[in-house]
Amino acid sequence: MIWEVFRQEAAGDYHAHCGNVHAPDREMALLFAEIQHGRRKPTNSLWVVPQDEVGEVDTDEAVFGGTTDKSYRFAQTYSVEPAAEEVEASEEEQTEAERKRGDL
Amino acid sequence: MATADGASYAGVDDLDGEEAAEAVERLLFRLADDELVVAERYTEWQVRAPTLESDISLANVAQDELGHARLWYQVLERFGHDETDLIWERDPEDFRHGTLVEQPFADGDWADAVVRGYLYDVAEDERLHALEDSTFAPIRDRVGKVLDEEAYHLEYAESWLERLAGSEDGHERLQDALDRLYPYALTLFEPGDGTTDARIVEMGVRERSLGALRESWHDRVDDYLGSLGLRVPPLEPSERADGHVSPTDLPDHVGREGDHTDHWPALFAEMTGTYEDLGRDHATRIMDDDE
Repeated sequence: MIWEVFRQEAAGDYHAHCGNVHAPDREMALLFAEIQHGRRKPTNSLWVVPQDEVGEVDTDEAVFGGTTDKSYRFAQTYSVEPAAEEVEASEEEQTEAERKRGDL
Repeated sequence: MATADGASYAGVDDLDGEEAAEAVERLLFRLADDELVVAERYTEWQVRAPTLESDISLANVAQDELGHARLWYQVLERFGHDETDLIWERDPEDFRHGTLVEQPFADGDWADAVVRGYLYDVAEDERLHALEDSTFAPIRDRVGKVLDEEAYHLEYAESWLERLAGSEDGHERLQDALDRLYPYALTLFEPGDGTTDARIVEMGVRERSLGALRESWHDRVDDYLGSLGLRVPPLEPSERADGHVSPTDLPDHVGREGDHTDHWPALFAEMTGTYEDLGRDHATRIMDDDE
């Protein structure tokens, strides 16, 4: 049985997927994950999740974000000189999202 | 921490006299050598354990035990030894580990690795807790670090025992390994000589005698393995507390006075093979001493 492993580096961080382990049950999966995924990188917490329990939807089935222009969803669109404080504060995040969408 | 008369030893120079120093030194050799040799055997499972995950976990346990050996050898350096003499250039007959840890694994006998790890880890847990309040500061200061890593070892061994005991085949393999290893496990509590252990307890270096540790170890192992349907040999009343185990219940070689099985010189040769091949005459160091 395969267990997907999620590692949280520091308290408050998201648990990020970091790999998996083969184990017969949750207890063994945690013991294995502790060594395989927690011994080298900084680790505050690990989750193990049975692979079968992970639901997935991907680009074969969905058009993430839709197909029409919905740039009004993004604060960047409202950026004027001088930028609103809120826009400036989230600019980096917005730019990153646009870059990942391929818009930049 | 202190004994009834308030003694406490900050370092080697504070030990009263040669006999006291020798007793502590002997205790440290037992601790260090057990850890080094058990680790050396565990590493034989690398790329051979049942799954990649169990392989990495056992290799990690081996690394922990090597780290513990290192902590104890570093204390021995304060008695005038150096790493080269302590390991690489030492006569194999001068090693003081119990013969449990030098036994080879039968090919692919994972149950042996699991049972051995369990018997050893419970013994270690007992003796480390008895050292937590040691009057000898260099030991006392290091016990916590070791215990923090030991919890995983026990949990890991118990998890495997519970799962292997659940099938008929697994149960039989565990019992075979237990029958074979139990007499060797008793060597962990053999004093080696007639005076050191009493002196160690009297000085408060370790809180409890080897006999008392054996009794706790036996009852713990018996309770737990018994709950999994495994048979553990009984400990007779005469073998409890400060009593002695009958020599007929012990293996022919105990190890504590250097009387090892033939497996040890072979393992030692393998362990030091690269050092010899490279024609080294001293150990190369890449890490600083622990604090």
